[in-house]
Amino acid sequence: MKAPVEPNADLIAIVQPLIPALRRYARALLRDRDDADDLVQDVLERAMTRWYQRHKVGSVRAWLFAILHNLAIDQLRRRMRHGASDPIENVPEVALSIPPDQEAAVRRGDILSLVSLLPEEQRSVLLLIGVEDLSYAEAAAVLDIPQGTVMSRLSRARERLRRMMDEAPGQSPALRIVK
Amino acid sequence: MTDAHVTEAELQAYVDGRLSESRQAVVASWLAAHPEEAARIETYRQQRDALRLALAPVVEEPLPPELDLHLRRHRRLGRWSARGMAVAASIALALVVGGGSGWMLRGLSAPTTAGTAALAREAAASYAVYANDADRPVEIAGSDQQMLDDWFSRRLSRPIKAPDLGPAGFRLIGGRLVATDFGPAGLYLYRDASGNRVALYVRPMRAQGNDRMTKRDVGLVRGWTWADDGLGFGMFGEMTDEQLHRTADMARAQFTSI
Repeated sequence: MKAPVEPNADLIAIVQPLIPALRRYARALLRDRDDADDLVQDVLERAMTRWYQRHKVGSVRAWLFAILHNLAIDQLRRRMRHGASDPIENVPEVALSIPPDQEAAVRRGDILSLVSLLPEEQRSVLLLIGVEDLSYAEAAAVLDIPQGTVMSRLSRARERLRRMMDEAPGQSPALRIVK
Repeated sequence: MTDAHVTEAELQAYVDGRLSESRQAVVASWLAAHPEEAARIETYRQQRDALRLALAPVVEEPLPPELDLHLRRHRRLGRWSARGMAVAASIALALVVGGGSGWMLRGLSAPTTAGTAALAREAAASYAVYANDADRPVEIAGSDQQMLDDWFSRRLSRPIKAPDLGPAGFRLIGGRLVATDFGPAGLYLYRDASGNRVALYVRPMRAQGNDRMTKRDVGLVRGWTWADDGLGFGMFGEMTDEQLHRTADMARAQFTSI
């Protein structure tokens, strides 16, 4: 039986302002509001029970994003397991995203759908740096990879996205946003 | 400027605006001399902006109560259940009203007038569309008030209960859910013996906190808005300001005592 955990004032002051950003990252990865919020709730539980580990990944912000990222990846893989009979090892990384209709996404220039077509490792880097404004060093800590790898994944992600957008004929899809 | 020293990593950092001022200038003039590369980098920048913009609404959404650590501290909530919610929230509300402790008051300091201005527009629009709909003004009738209250409570993640406006002569017709930019809102409709209708509109606000009772005129529809503990309200109709104010006060008193 686990004792009920309550956040202390210190934790609230530091973590509460970061919750909207955590929701945003979770939403972008999972593309589902309820799943994303459930995941953030799990992150908050862990932050409370493991508050003493908060300096493990540099800043508290990076630590929270690291917890969230790892839980999100677990969940995406679980989805994949339930969605397909193939063992996870046989599934290409790109298929670990929710498979949207690629053609339709390209046609609409829907940036979120296009991003969800990126391999997970590129998508995370793109979101953590481009949206969440983590420093390159923080992103490296969150993903537990060298900073040079962060830079090359970022570069590949942006180029891949550009190519996908080029498939949409005669327009500037990057400027068209579907909310 | 020298071509040789601009790396791909620097171009990425340029997209993110993370170069030092001096390198920023070097990369900018390098790009000026390499239009194809400049176009590529500009596309990256547009992608980045588009992605930020597409995800921006998420951080504007009101925080669901189960993710709000301020509430968490007093409630020991696990996942929300519709049943346990009313009791738990009333405890938290009592603490807020009672003064709470220092850290809790900090979260309540920001005024939310901007928020209730948006709410006023939504409430007036909902009133205009639904209150005079002869065929189907509500989705659930007042005779099923419990079902209606449960539905709103579930969708707004707060304990919601239609206030009794009987003392002002108004009877509950029923209610419906309304879609807004900020998520679902609840609309209760009431009528009196002579056919006057009023709408009570309620939805969670972006900011925790309270807002004073404010008079609103939105076209032919008039009303009052207020917010208590992160929940925003609008009482709208076509009666006099005084009559509307009285029903608004009546509703507010009942909500703060849930």
